Amino acid sequence: MGRLVERIIVLFSWLSGAILLSVICAVTGYLCFKGLKTIGPALIFGSTDPMSALLLRQRVFDGLFPAMAGTLLLVLMSVGWAIPLGTAAGIYLAEYAGVKTKKIFDLLFDLLAGLPSIVIGLFGFSLTLFLNRHVSKELHPCLLLSSIALAFLILPYIIRTTQIALENLPMHNRLTGLAMGATRMQNLVHVLLPQALAGMVSGILLAIGRCAEDTAVIMLTGVVASAGVPRSVLSHYEALPFYIFYISSQYANQQELATGYGAAILLLFICLLLFGLAFVIKKNLPCQVFSQR
Amino acid sequence: MRSRILMLLGAAVFFMTFSTSAMAGDLDGFKGEKGEIKIAGGTAHIPVMKEAAQRIMGVSPDVQISIAGGGSGVGIKQAGEGLVDIGNSGKKPSEDEVARYGLHLFQWAIDGVAIIVNPANKVRALSQQQVMEIYAGKISNWKEVGGVDKQINLYTRDEASGTREVFWNQALKKGEIAANANFSVSNGAMKAAISQDPFAIGYVSVGHIDESVAAVAFDGVVPSRETVKEGKYAIARGLYSCTKGAPAGLTKKFIDYLFTAEGQQIVVDQGFITVK
Amino acid sequence: MTATCERAVERLFFAAAFVSAFVTLFIFGFMVYYGLPLFSGGRFLAILTSHWAPHQGSFGIYPMIVGTLAISLLAMVFAFPLSMGCAILISVVSRGRLSRILRKVVEVMTGIPTVVYGFVGIFLLIPLVRNVFDAGSGMCVLSASLMLAVLVSPTMILFFCDSFDRVPRSYGHAVLALGGTRIQHFLHVTLPCAWPGIIVAVTMALGRAVGDTLIALMLAGNAVQAPDSVFDSARTLTSHIALVFAADNESLEFKAIFACGVSLYLFTTILVLMIRLAARARGKVGQVG
Repeated sequence: MGRLVERIIVLFSWLSGAILLSVICAVTGYLCFKGLKTIGPALIFGSTDPMSALLLRQRVFDGLFPAMAGTLLLVLMSVGWAIPLGTAAGIYLAEYAGVKTKKIFDLLFDLLAGLPSIVIGLFGFSLTLFLNRHVSKELHPCLLLSSIALAFLILPYIIRTTQIALENLPMHNRLTGLAMGATRMQNLVHVLLPQALAGMVSGILLAIGRCAEDTAVIMLTGVVASAGVPRSVLSHYEALPFYIFYISSQYANQQELATGYGAAILLLFICLLLFGLAFVIKKNLPCQVFSQR
Repeated sequence: MRSRILMLLGAAVFFMTFSTSAMAGDLDGFKGEKGEIKIAGGTAHIPVMKEAAQRIMGVSPDVQISIAGGGSGVGIKQAGEGLVDIGNSGKKPSEDEVARYGLHLFQWAIDGVAIIVNPANKVRALSQQQVMEIYAGKISNWKEVGGVDKQINLYTRDEASGTREVFWNQALKKGEIAANANFSVSNGAMKAAISQDPFAIGYVSVGHIDESVAAVAFDGVVPSRETVKEGKYAIARGLYSCTKGAPAGLTKKFIDYLFTAEGQQIVVDQGFITVK
Repeated sequence: MTATCERAVERLFFAAAFVSAFVTLFIFGFMVYYGLPLFSGGRFLAILTSHWAPHQGSFGIYPMIVGTLAISLLAMVFAFPLSMGCAILISVVSRGRLSRILRKVVEVMTGIPTVVYGFVGIFLLIPLVRNVFDAGSGMCVLSASLMLAVLVSPTMILFFCDSFDRVPRSYGHAVLALGGTRIQHFLHVTLPCAWPGIIVAVTMALGRAVGDTLIALMLAGNAVQAPDSVFDSARTLTSHIALVFAADNESLEFKAIFACGVSLYLFTTILVLMIRLAARARGKVGQVG
């Protein structure tokens, strides 16, 4: 009897593994089968000359260039907001906060991390309406406001990785500097932060991946199907994930759909690349903060 | 000999300058222009908007035109709130909306709303009564209207859609739409969904019909540009662009462009009927 | 001098933490403010339990709540056994290299963008469901749940593995010494000790399933009805926000999406609190070892 249960469990686990693997193979295989042939310069630049497109001398109408440029700007801006704020907050939690303060902050950051991205997007949208009504009529859903909303989405990731990277440093590292007469600040800047850097950077890379793939937030705060490369931070813009979403439901012809497959492969590749990079940094930089768990 | 070549060259140069200027004539006003136009709303309008925007951005690299969907309701509201420069609508905004927001309307094309099915579906004609019953959920199998023995998959649009409003008013006589209907977010999405679902029924702007879907004759009239133009096909509507107050600057140029010979040619090329 | 500087920097760090925390509360306040007329005088409850019929002036989100629960719970029904099986395979059944490779594959899966799953879902899963089950358009609760299950499984698997690995090895020596197999050890020692971690993982996965927008928006069909069967088209709270956010800002239709937002917020809060409780229990298990 016991043997039978054991056999069933083993069989079941192998079956689950097989299902998971076949699903992942089906997803990636299907994309590659349909989309690999579209991969090439034409996917990104269409019929425009790549050089003049990159120098913004000519518009790209039938390629992914505007969407990629939009995603790149969006990611840079959101990370630009979130890194200083998130790192500082993470340092405060790890190094300065008292037990009680920490508890409250912890709860709130967990909550922020758990909020569905559409809720953050809704917040961004209502913030835009509020600003439009009460601050300046010039403010519409745009790149700037999208990036701010998106920064709130990734903020808890950055806070957490900073905090964990610092907290996991071994006690003796923490004390040596202080014992040699360094102030708390000097200790932090010269001893602790350099050692925690690997953990922090890998966290930031994961946050970038999250920014690059999120669709729900930007859908409500300014992304559009057709805009070209944004000329200012107050413009509408295109983005890669939204393009994929848009094409999936409203492609006009087979050629557009093929571009959609290409875009999906591209986004998948970018996200996995960031993911791999984060992993390599976590493993290979001198201080292995994460391996100590 | 030499003079002949020169003459030929001269003629060629003359011809080329002449022909390019003739071609780009309607776009001349955009040369050297700078700025941004934000367009949102009606999704039937998008192909025309996109083509016009591409041509304009092609001659003047410093102009940025962004095009979003959302539906006619969204177009009217966002233009009214000042969130976009041009709000498109596939239905005529109500008197109340025009007065409340100070909207100016520009109707640059005539369009119809057609009932469509998947090309694999053999049903090609429905009466108004049948359409009403299908959408109300009373007829739920294709065999009841002469098709195969399969469940009818309903597709509809959200409340913001002008296409839905026109269809609901004129084809359904404001009748019920069953709750199990799937929702599509735009004319483009409706077309794509119907082209993938062999047992679907939906409705879409006549300009959007192509070989990926099949138009259904409504009370005996096949919806097409010709039948809408001649007034035979009953479910027709205008395509409007709205601005808050009188349009100025780049926005005005854009709207004017839609009414030029070239602009109206785009309207025809995209499957709609000109207003001129 | 340095002391003042130090204090200033500390204040700056505190300010950053405070701003970040404040935003969390601010989001809630903002949504309540915008949906205000709906939240006064017990109308919030009415909204939660009535139907969505804008033409009749009814803006209830009941169908969306049912849709959300149906899709996310069904997704958990698929994802839980799958994840449990995979976690057992990685932590208990397989050894060495195979286990490491499998774990790596699962880790990589967590990096796949949601929109890519949705995209493949539309063109691969929907026609499959339509043809296999011969039920409607294929855009239904089932399709969305299946894809969501794939989306949430990797995180769940990693969490399961983590909680299995946390159970101290010393716990099971007796079982192994008495000639028990690894499976017996897992069933009688690891699993009973790891349950708080399992609850944390399931709760987190549920939160992810409820909060996801794109999969349901792309695959569930978005009909405004409380689904009766898994083959019915349905709409989630998240899709509802995405579909009607651009409506007239003054209308009740628009206000109603803030009711969706507030519901999602409150739901998240409950889940986070549950996770904390479970994590506390998990901490105790760890302490004993």
